[in-house]
Amino acid sequence: MAAGAAEAGEAAVAVVEVGSAQQFEELLRLKTKSLLVVHFWAPWAPQCVQMNDVMAELAKEHPHVSFVKLEAEAVPEVSEKYEISSVPTFLFFKNSQKVDRLDGAHAPELTKKVQRHVSSGAFPPSTNEHLKEDLSLRLKKLTHAAPCMLFMKGTPQEPRCGFSKQMVEILHKHNIQFSSFDIFSDEEVRQGLKTYSNWPTYPQLYVSGELIGGLDIIKELEASEELDTICPKAPKLEERLKVLTNKASVMLFMKGNKQEAKCGFSKQILEILNSTGVEYETFDILEDEEVRQGLKTFSNWPTYPQLYVRGDLVGGLDIVKELKDNGELLPILKGEN
Amino acid sequence: MELSADYLREKLRQDLEAEHVEVEDTTLNRCATSFRVLVVSAKFEGKPLLQRHRLVNECLAEELPHIHAFEQKTLTPEQWTRQRRE
Repeated sequence: MAAGAAEAGEAAVAVVEVGSAQQFEELLRLKTKSLLVVHFWAPWAPQCVQMNDVMAELAKEHPHVSFVKLEAEAVPEVSEKYEISSVPTFLFFKNSQKVDRLDGAHAPELTKKVQRHVSSGAFPPSTNEHLKEDLSLRLKKLTHAAPCMLFMKGTPQEPRCGFSKQMVEILHKHNIQFSSFDIFSDEEVRQGLKTYSNWPTYPQLYVSGELIGGLDIIKELEASEELDTICPKAPKLEERLKVLTNKASVMLFMKGNKQEAKCGFSKQILEILNSTGVEYETFDILEDEEVRQGLKTFSNWPTYPQLYVRGDLVGGLDIVKELKDNGELLPILKGEN
Repeated sequence: MELSADYLREKLRQDLEAEHVEVEDTTLNRCATSFRVLVVSAKFEGKPLLQRHRLVNECLAEELPHIHAFEQKTLTPEQWTRQRRE
């Protein structure tokens, strides 16, 4: 009985309940060196209660992973910041940055994602030599994490020093595609990278894993008009969305794919499209947050699924249903309008 | 953020000058906030489905990000009369 109580206590402690935005930010800072899984939940939703149980089990299996539950409606600042529109939703954080997302109560998918992120992370080193070796490898991976990689104070959205802010402004002005790492989130990286690259200050900009320099050098490259040739350009989101919506004559943006729809509406629209016999392609918006948000603005349509024919928005499930009932769907899908 | 059937009904009725609005809270079926609405308004006359739905979407622009599953049907008064007659 005592053992049982202790075990229950351990399980309870293993999943932390976060009750405020401040507590959440503190936790993000504290847990930068391990995977943090956040369950946005509501007590009135039975699937969320089940997923809390799933998370408690995962916490036992993965003691190095931090599991957190956050009542979505009780902490609206956090829920709105990460655009939580339904519960349960799971977010995955590493180095204080969101690295993955899972919408819905999919226990196998949650388990899979936790395992994937755990195995992709480095395990804590046991010796100093291992420490140096692992840090060096880690820094190499980080500097190669994207074609253009910026190590800065804060994030592009919230720079936390003037030099990092100027650097981001220059990169944005030149439409340079880059990823970033907040050196405040990891003191080991912050100090290690100075030695690794023999460069004592931040921000530091890397292209193809090679150090280009700090703010002064980037300014000089800008002045000499060399910056654009050195750094990779971002394909404009609008261009990308135009290409995507025209990828096939009939293009469906949905949650999941043809084999496995991950929400009821997406599933229903698949059934309707399949019954028409018309060829179509799908895009899983759960795999690409940029497309998911960008398309809402691009098409002035706030929800998914979204159906396009020859690049033009037809609408969502409700519209497709009405078109089918009116006998108008097939001509539209065949582009006969 | 207020999300209740009554609140949504009144907002749709006023903004879209609707002569009839039905709002059904379907949350219990889905484990997340969900609504199904029927809106009857002369504002929909002469407009294709996409534009009608956009009018409703724009009316509830602040609320939709917090609604997981939203279903709608938009009818003109003439369509509503005809439908009820059937």
